[in-house]
Amino acid sequence: MAAQDPTDGFVVGDPGLRSIGALAFGPGDVLFVADSEGGKVVAVDVADPATEAASGPFDLADLDTTLATYLGCDVGDVAVRDLAVHPRTGNIYLSVMRGTGTAGQPVLVRIDRHDGSLADLPLDRVAHAVAALDDAPAEDDPRQDVRLGEGEPFEFNGRTIRIARIPARLSAITDMAYVDGTLLVAGLSNEEFASTLRRIPFPFDGRQESTALEIFHVSHGKWETAAPIRTFVPYEGGQSVLASYTCTPLVHFPMAELVPGGRATGRTVAELGAGNQPLDIVRFEQDGAEHLLVSHTSHPLMKIACADIDVQAPLTEPKEPVGVPRQLPDLTGVSLMANLDDDHLLALQADDTGTRHLRSLKVASL
Amino acid sequence: MVEVAWDERDGPAGVALVARGVPPGWSASARVVPSDVLRGGMPPAGRAGMAGRWADDGDGARFVPRFAFLPGRSYTVLDGEDRPVATLTAAPAPGRPTARVVGIEPALSVVPRNLLRFHVRFSAPMAEGAATRHLRLEDATSGLVLRDALFALDPELWDEARCELTVLLDPARIKRGLAPHREAGYPLREGGSVRLVVEAGYPDAAGHPLVEGAEAVYAVGPDLRGRVDPGAWTVGAVVPGRRDSLVVAFGRPLDRRLVARSLRVVHEGSGVVAGAVDVAADGTRWRFTPAAPWAPWAPGGLALVVDPGLEDVAGNAVARAFDRDLADPTDTALPAGRAPVLPVPSVKTGPE
Repeated sequence: MAAQDPTDGFVVGDPGLRSIGALAFGPGDVLFVADSEGGKVVAVDVADPATEAASGPFDLADLDTTLATYLGCDVGDVAVRDLAVHPRTGNIYLSVMRGTGTAGQPVLVRIDRHDGSLADLPLDRVAHAVAALDDAPAEDDPRQDVRLGEGEPFEFNGRTIRIARIPARLSAITDMAYVDGTLLVAGLSNEEFASTLRRIPFPFDGRQESTALEIFHVSHGKWETAAPIRTFVPYEGGQSVLASYTCTPLVHFPMAELVPGGRATGRTVAELGAGNQPLDIVRFEQDGAEHLLVSHTSHPLMKIACADIDVQAPLTEPKEPVGVPRQLPDLTGVSLMANLDDDHLLALQADDTGTRHLRSLKVASL
Repeated sequence: MVEVAWDERDGPAGVALVARGVPPGWSASARVVPSDVLRGGMPPAGRAGMAGRWADDGDGARFVPRFAFLPGRSYTVLDGEDRPVATLTAAPAPGRPTARVVGIEPALSVVPRNLLRFHVRFSAPMAEGAATRHLRLEDATSGLVLRDALFALDPELWDEARCELTVLLDPARIKRGLAPHREAGYPLREGGSVRLVVEAGYPDAAGHPLVEGAEAVYAVGPDLRGRVDPGAWTVGAVVPGRRDSLVVAFGRPLDRRLVARSLRVVHEGSGVVAGAVDVAADGTRWRFTPAAPWAPWAPGGLALVVDPGLEDVAGNAVARAFDRDLADPTDTALPAGRAPVLPVPSVKTGPE
């Protein structure tokens, strides 16, 4: 039996993106695109024209100026939101906001791996499917959305009543990953501090398994806090997740714990210190062993062997050094990262002058 | 002599560039680039120009950009030898400053040391990505900026209309036990006072500054700890057959946005009761006025249902505290999904 085309059911037209942010490749030519402002995730058929997988390193100097030139705007008008590499073709995809406010325009740029040329996908006429996240009620009347008959039951004067919880609006989608037919979406709410991790089955069918899954972490065995996940990466074939909170502990979850209605408590495997925010995590293999690389706002890149995570006891003592990561002090200024091929990672790296370049990192040298 | 001019024949949304007096085939190697990318002096060698297409246009050539020229930005036309032919500046965005700050929350004179967030409400949609430049928290006495107190979020947290910005104080410095808390301490100091300043230069969605800046001054008090406990609230009584408002006092300042959507009145006969909600500016009281007179109910038959996600200004929720001390048996969490229900008392009028 032929496998189902993952773009079955996609419609060609304008998905109405109000913003563009996190990217994650799904099956085939499907690229998941986060629209925080529009409160949705759009699965886009990128219809990548390349027929063969590219391999080898790729470098592009001064990405911001390159994008500003192509997009016809000042360098300061360019905001690179995320980076993804097409697993089939090796072409590079960037989500970019051109300008802000009323002039702000979401753009999905494709960089040809062979010649470094830029193109953009016509987002007003693209094959796509939409999963709405923003099921919060209208601003002017919060009670319009009350739906009796769903949600957790409670006893009320001898009767059982259900009132649906109105999920907190995700104001910022911070990361996404696709694992075995499920899109995982992490984000922050402008309302509740402890936003949940959402699970959206793909192909989209309107279901979302998220609202009651709460994410916690315990620091040093003494304090428990609900916390939003900022960035994460599945590994061990989708069995495990390494996540980073906004408050910077690196935590491990077994994927099996991230079930609807559950209460997941991450095992803290490392702390990253003050004045530092996590930016991105990628997974790679070195000498047959799985590793993770974490980028931050102020620390150099950190490399973590997944085997070390498995044996790391939960952090219980507030003393240095904290946890398993090892720093790679030569690699500073790295923000976004993606897997380029088996031997290389692609990184957005700022040099000493603040100019940002796309650089290949050789996996063997990490 | 090549002359370059704006071409608005397709209307303001389709502005193009027209070059007159160019030799045949000139446009095959000409490029348009934003002048900003030439700041280094050198044309970007080997780099394609701005996306768009040239077409013959009478005695000249016309460039239609893939992305509209931006207001106030300059563009340079380069010939095939990378020589600048002309530089033109697009008209600035029309209009003038109209946006203002209409509210800063919490609207309290004293905030807890473990305050989690501020909300700044504007009168119009605003630009994104400007908060770190135009919003600051400073010591109200010395005027010195409190470095790393506000959490620089990218992307920023805006409401759907882009009129309300939520700014967190660094949660890693508030959470007890974490390295940033141990190293740098709380963002706020009890006994001190702080000022949140929204600069007049904060750009609105059209790029215009505010009509004027705004600020809010707070004294810093003790921590606000423990779960939000609806059992400790004061629930007012209402009279069957009348349209009295139901008033609930929380005993601590809650997050106003969450209060507005987290409480529902349920009647044994009609289910969720429709009505108008008013939350006190300081987040300590909630007033509900039913759309119709209260229908009679048996004891316990009118109740307030509380969303367990409701938080106070320090991020403590009904379901769980912001950070809880696992060694303290009283610092418990509510079972997942449990929504507290509070009976609303009735006041009988007239003789029994």
